[in-house]
Amino acid sequence: MKAWWSYFCLPVAVAATLAAPSAFAQSVDTARIEAGGQNDWLTYHGSYKSYHYSPLAQINTGNVGDLSVAWIHIPGRSTRGLQSMPLVADGVLYYTGSYSRVFALNGATGEVIWSYFPELDEALIARQTHSPYNRGVAIGDGKVYVGTMDGRLIALDMKTGKVAWDTKLIDSQKLTVGFTGAPLFAKGTVIIGAQGGEWPGRGPIFAVDAATGKKKWEFLTVAGTDEAMKTWGSDSWRTGGGGGWMPGTYDPETNTILWGTANPAPLYDWSGPDYKTQGARPGDNLYTSSVLGLDIDTGKLKFYHQELPHDAWDFDSAVGEFVMLDRDGQKYVVHPNKSGYIFVYDRNLGVKNVWRITQNSNFVKNIDPKTGELIGRRDFTAGKVSEPLCPHISGGVSWNSGSYNPKTGLYYKLGQEWCMTLEVMKTTPIVAPQAQLNIGADFKIAPPPSGEIYGHLDARDPITGAKKWEVRFPEPPLGSVLSTGGNLVFVPDSRGTVHAYDADSGTELWNHSDGTGHQGGIISYAVNGKQYIAVVAGFGGMASDDYAPTFGGVYKSMPRDDGALVVYSLK
Amino acid sequence: MKSNLGIMVLPSALLAALLACAVPARAQQPPAPPSENAPMDVEQLFATTCGWCHSDGGRAAGKGPQLMNTQRDDEFIRDRIKNGKPGAMPAFGGMFTDAQIDEIIKYIRSLKPREG
Repeated sequence: MKAWWSYFCLPVAVAATLAAPSAFAQSVDTARIEAGGQNDWLTYHGSYKSYHYSPLAQINTGNVGDLSVAWIHIPGRSTRGLQSMPLVADGVLYYTGSYSRVFALNGATGEVIWSYFPELDEALIARQTHSPYNRGVAIGDGKVYVGTMDGRLIALDMKTGKVAWDTKLIDSQKLTVGFTGAPLFAKGTVIIGAQGGEWPGRGPIFAVDAATGKKKWEFLTVAGTDEAMKTWGSDSWRTGGGGGWMPGTYDPETNTILWGTANPAPLYDWSGPDYKTQGARPGDNLYTSSVLGLDIDTGKLKFYHQELPHDAWDFDSAVGEFVMLDRDGQKYVVHPNKSGYIFVYDRNLGVKNVWRITQNSNFVKNIDPKTGELIGRRDFTAGKVSEPLCPHISGGVSWNSGSYNPKTGLYYKLGQEWCMTLEVMKTTPIVAPQAQLNIGADFKIAPPPSGEIYGHLDARDPITGAKKWEVRFPEPPLGSVLSTGGNLVFVPDSRGTVHAYDADSGTELWNHSDGTGHQGGIISYAVNGKQYIAVVAGFGGMASDDYAPTFGGVYKSMPRDDGALVVYSLK
Repeated sequence: MKSNLGIMVLPSALLAALLACAVPARAQQPPAPPSENAPMDVEQLFATTCGWCHSDGGRAAGKGPQLMNTQRDDEFIRDRIKNGKPGAMPAFGGMFTDAQIDEIIKYIRSLKPREG
């Protein structure tokens, strides 16, 4: 019998250096990521400003009709599809497939420069629910960083793909969870958050020294301070949750990491209105469903806002977008909550405004735009919930990102209109590791009261929420959005079509089928003066698994274990 | 609503002990054995774990198939619970004894549409 530890310790280098493009030369550092760069995509959200915007304008409203496939890459073993956000530096594209497979490709041709397939604890992965997809890498200081489902953060040499260090951060054998989200590189530090919302754990966020792989600090999103511990009555912090499974960003002006956290467990509580003293987890349950400002050097909590105190609906704050805006001398941060409410903060996470992108929402009557306080919240008791809960558990927005275009001043964001029936059940506390999930209700997807399920791309003012235009989709698109200096907005939809819209009007100018649904990233970059659009295709995640039984049609035959990176350019 | 199987509610300490024992059927780390006599509240199990994919307590298709009125035989269901399906269903073989899996199958066979 193979020793269990061997699954973690074997150095694996499925790497074959074929050819290095000419421009490997420059290093990627904090200043370069902050600047964003014309031709690159250096961090998950494009730059620390989190715009998901490329200033490139070679592909524009006048010629986008000539866009066609330049090259395709098949990563293989795409269990649960592809959910990665590609990165590009100096003509080399880095991205991940399922099982944390990492590829470095020539951005102009798709030629494989190196690949790295980590040897994983497959037995552990076989008993994980939210697995084995991976949402991308970070790059910086000459390395590529990737998290694994068995609790490791691995650094690879950017030029060769060889392992520089491999640090075990979580005892995933014990806790079941690991890392699916992309790391963030800033200031010689790699930040990564663990899964957590549905498991008995304390949802840690880690900082690791980029040079050595040594852990610098760890912040527990469940009862991580004395103040927070008081917000979990009946020792309910042991049921856990939290986590920060999507990458946030770095604010160089304040030396702060901004990060969103997931929900507490169980997802649904039977407390009723007396949630401060009754139910599964009495109290506000800090720091779940919150946005945090952590000192990058020490991990100390500098400031926070809990978007949903005592989240009883699984509408967490794990979405990683922190859109940094300057307007009229004011500095803002825009962060979408999973519920579909969009929070506008100052740089210290003080609430400046709250607006909503969804039509169908009834978990609260409203959120006070001045204070962020929940108004008219629905706290369930055990039993059947009479009126369907809106939005559905998959959220009013996806964990994927919208895009802010500084040329139009508009924020392009997808909204999701769907609801759910549910029966809340009083359950026994799950405080031991190895339990898979902790939901607390039976539920089923349902159409909204206003009619059919649908999704929509909105072009809105990011501060006020004022809507300029909207495009509707018969099923909610789940991928990220890209806007460009060519006055274009790209939306990869769930049926498998990539759409390009005029950023000012929403008029569709081009579309092309990738052959399978999208639920991951889309970027733009340039190599040797030529602009490319890169998008990952491949369906089969936690939200998309509902599509075949709910919508039928093309989703019935859509694979859940396949995917490709498709790259477009002008003919 | 309680199922008509008369399944006992699992005391918290017992459930914690059961869950602490959970390891995969094919795991390489030596597990503590599941308790042979631990009773199962399968309805609660669906509300905490299985229902994420098997909607409405197994009565409707969701991320996973509808279990009510399934045409699959017991052996198929037992194997799927134990070994899972890569990328679709986790392997629960280390979490439940054969007797407990039998309880889960009994629950599935007893599923009826909700009233009202």
